[in-house]
Amino acid sequence: MTQAVAIDHHEPIENTSTGLNSRKLMMWAFLGSDVMFFGAFIATYLVYRGKSLVGPYPSEILDIPLTTLSTFVLLMSSLAMVLALHYVKDGERNKGTLWILAVVVLGAIFMGFQFYEFREFGHLGLTPRTNIFGTTFFILTGIHGAHVTIGIIWMGFMAYSSHKGALRPDNALDLEIAGLYWHFVDIVWIVIFTVIYLISANDGPPPGMESMITH
Amino acid sequence: MTTKALTFPRIFPRPKATTGIWSWIGTVDHKRIGTLYGITSFIWFIVGGIEAIAIRAQLATPENDLIGPEMYNQLFTMHGTTMVFLVIMPLSAAFFNWLIPLQIGARDVAFPRLNALSFWIFLFGSLIINFSWLTGDAPNGGWFGYAPNSGITFNPGLGMTYWIVGLNVLGVASIAAGLNFIVTILNMRAPGMDMFKLPIFTWMTLVTSVLIVLALPILAVAGIQLQTDRIYGTHFFNSLGGGDPVMWQHIFWLFGHPEVYILILPAMGIVSEVLPTFARKPLFGYGFVVFAGIVIGFMGWFVWSHHMFTVGLGPAANTAFSVSTMLIAVPTGVKIFNWLGTLWGGSIRFNTPMLFSVSFIAMFTIGGLSGVIHASPPTDAQQQDTYFVVAHFHYVLVGGALLGIFSGIYFWWPKMTGYFLNEKLGIANWLLMMIGFNLQFAPMHWLGMDGMPRRIYTYAENMGWETSNAAASAGGIILGIGVLIFMINVWYSMRNKVEAGDDPWDGRTLEWSTSSPPPPHDFDEIPQVKYRDDFWFRKYPETISEYYHDHNEHDQAVPSGAQNDLEEENLPVVSGGSDDGHGGIHLPDMSYYPFILGVGVAGIGAGFLSNNAVLFVGVGILVWGMLGWSMEPVNDPEPEHD
Amino acid sequence: MHRVSKLSFPLRPAFFLLAPLAIALLAACTPDNKQSTFGTAGPIAKDQADLFIFIFWIAAVVFVMVEAAIIYIAIRYRRRSDSDKLPHQTHGNDRLEITWTIIPVLILAAIAVPTLISIWEQQNHVPQDQGEVLNVEAIGHQWWFEFRYPDQEVIVSNELHIPVGRPVAFKLESQDVIHSFWVPKIAGKVDMVPLNDNYMWMIGDEVGEYYGQCAEFCGIAHAHMRFRVFVHEEEEFQAWLKGMHTAPDAPAAGSPEESGKNLFAANCSSCHTVDSTAPGSYAREVSAQQARWNGWISDIENSGIVSAPNLTHFGTHSTIGAGLKDLNQKTLEEWITDPSSIKIGTRMQKHAAVYDTPDKTAKLSPSEVSDIAAYLLSLKPGSTPAGETASSVGGDADGESLFVTNCASCHSTGDDTIVGPGLAGVADRAGSRVAGQDSDSYLKESITNSGAFVVDGFAPVMPGFSHLGTDSIDALVTYLKTLD
Repeated sequence: MTQAVAIDHHEPIENTSTGLNSRKLMMWAFLGSDVMFFGAFIATYLVYRGKSLVGPYPSEILDIPLTTLSTFVLLMSSLAMVLALHYVKDGERNKGTLWILAVVVLGAIFMGFQFYEFREFGHLGLTPRTNIFGTTFFILTGIHGAHVTIGIIWMGFMAYSSHKGALRPDNALDLEIAGLYWHFVDIVWIVIFTVIYLISANDGPPPGMESMITH
Repeated sequence: MTTKALTFPRIFPRPKATTGIWSWIGTVDHKRIGTLYGITSFIWFIVGGIEAIAIRAQLATPENDLIGPEMYNQLFTMHGTTMVFLVIMPLSAAFFNWLIPLQIGARDVAFPRLNALSFWIFLFGSLIINFSWLTGDAPNGGWFGYAPNSGITFNPGLGMTYWIVGLNVLGVASIAAGLNFIVTILNMRAPGMDMFKLPIFTWMTLVTSVLIVLALPILAVAGIQLQTDRIYGTHFFNSLGGGDPVMWQHIFWLFGHPEVYILILPAMGIVSEVLPTFARKPLFGYGFVVFAGIVIGFMGWFVWSHHMFTVGLGPAANTAFSVSTMLIAVPTGVKIFNWLGTLWGGSIRFNTPMLFSVSFIAMFTIGGLSGVIHASPPTDAQQQDTYFVVAHFHYVLVGGALLGIFSGIYFWWPKMTGYFLNEKLGIANWLLMMIGFNLQFAPMHWLGMDGMPRRIYTYAENMGWETSNAAASAGGIILGIGVLIFMINVWYSMRNKVEAGDDPWDGRTLEWSTSSPPPPHDFDEIPQVKYRDDFWFRKYPETISEYYHDHNEHDQAVPSGAQNDLEEENLPVVSGGSDDGHGGIHLPDMSYYPFILGVGVAGIGAGFLSNNAVLFVGVGILVWGMLGWSMEPVNDPEPEHD
Repeated sequence: MHRVSKLSFPLRPAFFLLAPLAIALLAACTPDNKQSTFGTAGPIAKDQADLFIFIFWIAAVVFVMVEAAIIYIAIRYRRRSDSDKLPHQTHGNDRLEITWTIIPVLILAAIAVPTLISIWEQQNHVPQDQGEVLNVEAIGHQWWFEFRYPDQEVIVSNELHIPVGRPVAFKLESQDVIHSFWVPKIAGKVDMVPLNDNYMWMIGDEVGEYYGQCAEFCGIAHAHMRFRVFVHEEEEFQAWLKGMHTAPDAPAAGSPEESGKNLFAANCSSCHTVDSTAPGSYAREVSAQQARWNGWISDIENSGIVSAPNLTHFGTHSTIGAGLKDLNQKTLEEWITDPSSIKIGTRMQKHAAVYDTPDKTAKLSPSEVSDIAAYLLSLKPGSTPAGETASSVGGDADGESLFVTNCASCHSTGDDTIVGPGLAGVADRAGSRVAGQDSDSYLKESITNSGAFVVDGFAPVMPGFSHLGTDSIDALVTYLKTLD
């Protein structure tokens, strides 16, 4: 009896037409799709930048140092991801499991930062309903947060799998594909961080706003 | 079996039935899924057709009060939404499912369970959106859902929520299917079939799938933004809070124009298969037709604002989008000329599929030319939002996409069922559809030029629009009878079976080389591909040198490489080197998890429409489905006695 | 080999396709139709029609060539018998491919040149060398059009008047959803988009009456959102402008018109203005329209107030219901009694208190309806010279009739809320609301500067009434203090 392991789970030699693994190819195609998804939200943010009719404006509310820290945490999670994959491929089960857990923890810390930030903004009077900045900010970062959350759950599953010995060098592809997703979500955050926190950091009321406010 | 895998406790045993309802619910066979797509979307086609006839009944006479404005707005919204998302897209998907593995010499798609999931999500999404009819609160903001008219302020009630939720659910299904076909076409080709030996329908499917994967997320974003505006009071498109209604139009049409090519490219692919077969000539200028399809798919991203020439984007934007729109007519023209080149000098047999395909060229040309007319913003200023535009896109989508799809149905029906559709009824079907269609939509050209706006439920008596509207309504009935004849044909042909055999039309591509209907594993032996139209050249080897001037070189070059040696492993789900049972062919086992995941997605959609309890149940089912799916092997380990 | 019998349908498919098209094309020359884009009456529409015809003929040539090719091929290359020899399996022809790529490019270039010229001529700026430019603000409302002449301080609804041969520059706005402003015979459409003012211009070349219609789907009454454009000789246009500044004659005492006037004041006047002839009334109407909109948008379900057409000199109009029916006593009575018999979905019927009945018809007797109609039809420029507002406020100010005319549609004299609070006992409350302010000055300020004190729970929708004049306001306050 040969190992009747599904193509889905085990593929030592890629014998597809392109030589690329089908699941990996699909993950890449999916990320292309997700680029359009985030792209549309980011484009919306940029189009609406500086169009808020009332405050709080980005310059009054964004905490750049804090978000820089959380960005750093998320970047470190990508590093952990790389190490995790390395150890899983090498068959070092415990190290692999630990580094996957590190990804989960760092991702969770990032989400903690986001939760804190959302709450702070709420206290400072910025909600999705307050103004167009609130609308675009919360939905864009919230959608990203949802992606991170899904990644954390996925990585948690991977950690469990690794701990149980079901994630091995021969099917490390499972982790590699999850890693592609994780790195992608990470890169998207760098774009969001640049667009929202760095570029818009000094955005105040749009010019000519005063007359509209009294109106 | 030494390796250890995570397992998930089953609540139900893995489905094994080969007949009955459970065999359909658990199926992962691309042919069965194609059939499911076909039947479901044909039912929606009838629903959308009834909506169209209701619209035409209301407009048949001036000052008609048969249908009030509330109902009328729901009818045209649902007619558009249904025909685009529930008819033409899934009917194309039916062909993708049925044909792509057969055309590329594979035993299934790359991800059979994902394929089943796409169908179930599509089914539930279509049910959600049409469920609104039963509540009496169907969507009424137009299939384009322009803000702020689609926002909560001007459109309270659940109607537009049904629309948004339904479209987002359908979007998930489309994206999943698109990803699946991209990977299938890139990765599952038979040995020797390099990209430029792909059948043209497969090529157009690939371009369409790429467009789906890239365009549908934008619709999802539009839907999410509109939905948060409606439910949570955000300001994306709410002009009172600083949002910009024009932004909705940009986002919607950035999706919407690629969507137009998503609708038409599969039909172009079908026609490009039918014409060569019935002319007994290869497709003229294969490379140019493929390239034209790719160019259309690419340029389709840079023309969206031609839907917005009257929105006031200014002369610079109108200039740019006018020029880009005119340019996209060039690759479209290239396709038409190549089709004519294919027919030229052929030995043309006019069976029903061919009648539909030739009519496609004739009708699509009209739609294309009227498109060029309103690619010019000054003339479009008169035509935008009038019946001229209605005429234009019905010539493209009915005269184009739908005729192509009917051509495909008549063409591949013998392959799918093993029996012909009746030819006489087929000609009656074609003739009535052509007469009805032209009678319905040709007069709309001058209704538009005579100043009749779209989406008005009634019009005054003194406008000079009576005759054309009456003609259009009569045409609608004739078109409807044509479709009815098709249904009679299906019924008649299933009762009076005329065997078709494996290759009834003297076909050119691989699907004709297997039996009709194909066995579950599609091919007893995975074909080795040497040529474009490989099956034809296998039948008529003497013609190879006519097509390939450098014939000998090709003969040596192909097939080559490791792929050939690995033929056995190249099967979709073959387990390495197994020699038991039926020649090493292992099809993926059935699975009910796609259905369960589909129910979960539907539950989440229903939750947005009802309450959080339903939402949580949906999420619960979704998680169950995902866990079960991810820990279920494609093939269970086979018991020894098998 | 071929199992199908050769059912070679002797077809010329294109013939079947072309026949109805040819008939239809012949029938298409209908420049006399009211909204035909042919038979134009202005340079913009003419340019657009000319460009259409130019592209149409190019398209027609391509069309005939393609369809002729299909017919020719279908006849020439049809299979005559199963023994026909296999056609040459041709690969293609690169030279042909290049040819039929380049030729369409050239054809499209030929179309693009006049297209681009037209775009920049029509959309870039208003021509300054064709006479004095008339400025008009056109505003789309669900489901009617408002036209404001800011330089002349004139407001008119659903019927646009412009002089012949002079450029008219439009600023297109919308308060609610997207509409589209379209007079097919004079100029192609431009959308009216909230928050995005658009600009367009047109010139009417021929004197006459032209049809216009909203072209962007805007909700339930989209089909019934129409308007008329009247192109006048210059003198006639000036006379019309002057008339719009001339108050109507006061109705004779005891006449149906007088009764209608009082009924109108009590039931209609909070949304419909009829006195935009007086100096200063333009600005007042602009702000009142905004206030009505604010009132509606702040409480859509229960609002008793909504943006509404200005009915000044309604008697001079030729249509009702936004260009729907000819205006006469009969249609007007129908309209007032039950607007939905003419136009389904009007905001008036939904929100005005007078339609708050089980079957949504007006709470008015047939004779009352008739009186209101008679009054509205009597609204025409009167004999009093422009600039004097003799009719609205009498010399001996009668507080009660002033109240009925100006206030009663929103305020009851009891405790009931209509739009604003009921005013029973207002004297007591007024004196206690603001420390240090007596009831007289509180009431006066409320009337003149309505935004000053808004009672909690009410929207700030009341227009200012300072135009009534000091005497009238004193009389009104005196009357108000008698309510208890």
